[in-house]
Amino acid sequence: METDTISASFDVYRYRPGKDAAPHYQRYTLDLTPHTPVLTALLKIRAEVDPSLALRYSCRSAICGSCAMQINSKSRLACETHIGPEMERHGRVVVEPMRNQPVLRDLVVDQTPFWKEYDRIEPSLKLDPRRPMPEGKPTKMSPAEVDRFKETPRCIACAACYSACPAVEADPGFPGPMALSKLYRFVVDPRDTAHQDRLLRIQPNGLWLCLRCHLCTEACPKDVRPSERIRDLKEMAIAVQGGTELGSRHAIGFKENLKGAGQLNEMKLVRATSGLTGMLGQIGQGIRVWRKKPEIMKRPRTIEGMDEITKIYAALDPPPKEEP
Amino acid sequence: MKIAYYPGCVAQESGKELDMATRWVCRTLGIELVEFPNFSCCGSGFVDEANEVLNIAINARNLAIAERAGLDMLTICSTCQGMLTLAKVRMQDPKVKGRVEGALKPLGIEYKGTVKVKHLLRVLTEDIGLPAIKAKVRRPLHGMKVGAFYGCHLLRPADEMESESAEEPHAFEDLLDAVGATPVDYRGRVMCCGFPIQFVKPTMASAIAGRQILDAKSHGADAMATPCPLCHLSLDAYQNKAAKEVRAPLDMPVFHLPQVVGLALGASPEELGLSRHLVPTDAALAKVRSSAPA
Repeated sequence: METDTISASFDVYRYRPGKDAAPHYQRYTLDLTPHTPVLTALLKIRAEVDPSLALRYSCRSAICGSCAMQINSKSRLACETHIGPEMERHGRVVVEPMRNQPVLRDLVVDQTPFWKEYDRIEPSLKLDPRRPMPEGKPTKMSPAEVDRFKETPRCIACAACYSACPAVEADPGFPGPMALSKLYRFVVDPRDTAHQDRLLRIQPNGLWLCLRCHLCTEACPKDVRPSERIRDLKEMAIAVQGGTELGSRHAIGFKENLKGAGQLNEMKLVRATSGLTGMLGQIGQGIRVWRKKPEIMKRPRTIEGMDEITKIYAALDPPPKEEP
Repeated sequence: MKIAYYPGCVAQESGKELDMATRWVCRTLGIELVEFPNFSCCGSGFVDEANEVLNIAINARNLAIAERAGLDMLTICSTCQGMLTLAKVRMQDPKVKGRVEGALKPLGIEYKGTVKVKHLLRVLTEDIGLPAIKAKVRRPLHGMKVGAFYGCHLLRPADEMESESAEEPHAFEDLLDAVGATPVDYRGRVMCCGFPIQFVKPTMASAIAGRQILDAKSHGADAMATPCPLCHLSLDAYQNKAAKEVRAPLDMPVFHLPQVVGLALGASPEELGLSRHLVPTDAALAKVRSSAPA
């Protein structure tokens, strides 16, 4: 069967650190069918046009997670991103290495930072030494217990989420979406005995720096939905430890704030999160904003039907225990 | 058209100019805003972090208010849009629905899930339509290059938000084009403004905001425009801090979405509350050529 081909232009990032003065983009133009995966196109370029192009790949079937890269600025697996829609939207396919990891050569990055964060969450079961796993026998889990893992076991560690994460970009100390969703997986594992400790240790290390921008959830080829698991971790951390961090204090403060009028009281929230001393530090900025927007000092009106909000809080905060 | 107006907290407080501009634009385009003094705050994503089911319940209550009146909802904030839509999505889970109904039913609140939650951007581009807006343009913004800045929750997660695209939307650019402005393409337009961590790590939040503003600037933007008042706080009210973090002068005027539309439809800067911005908008307004090009 004949399929129409399109003339597809690829602008591929090329860089050999230490040898090239600066990265540059090389243009390749090929006639291909619209459903050609970007990876197939790159391999064709390497085989037929330019053998010096470096890229990482293996299975070509979205299983191994090796070929994550930036395609027209989106972090994606090259093997499952078709050129047709990219050409349609952008008129070209810009191919760049993943972000947030140093380039080794062309499209190949050094994944050390990504794996370091994975190791940091101690990704193995911590068992109770008094109750070792029965030798040679499986440990049973109920379907409900397995359901709590949500989508996390699907992760193929491709690092597309790490590449897409603006929190990692701004602060390389942030563990990133993959490490945090793996952490979630251990925190809900009924066999693991370090749940509290894991939650306690991750908080100052960046749990609360997640921006909930959901770019990780869009980048993930396996629909692990890391941003939603990070949200789950935050709620669990609050339930177990309360407001130990600025981030958790702010979330709790916001929740408590609405009990007042059903609307946000901006000043009260700043005070709840930052405390009086923290507020003093922001006084200059506060005055700058207040001069243009005096309402920041105003108390909000109380909404009609405030009693309903009060009763909803009484019924659901703290949330009633889920039935097993 | 008639729609339930959900202004959100910020537009009633520090972002009052957004409320002013929204009312002006809606009046001019024949959108009747029905107000409900019993709407509560959407929780802004923070209540969701502290207690998910509570957050769903307070938003299911908001949705039920519009539902009772038989109206769809209009939001003017990406985060309000996100939180109300998220509540609708989560309420499809029978387990969640059961728990929330357990709290709402004793109050006589019935939630059916029939209300559509629409951001102003969508109402303008889909319900009113670009041709109708174009026909009402009195002062096309020719010569002004504007970088649209969407705000995360309007776009993502795309499957749950029913957004046009998670990372490659164009509705806002289409709207800018319809009012005569020149949309600027830059990566930062779909990125985060940093606001959610403004209280957790202000320097990092400002560095993120600064990065997006610099990106818009380096692509030639005379101004930015956003459909989210929280993004506006980050990009405008805290722009001095963003400039400090990226160690570059920014001087980037940032409009609220209805302000850009209002300007083109003939509103005065006073009617749109432009003087309430921290970064003056004069430089961007001066870019508008007085005569329409041939």
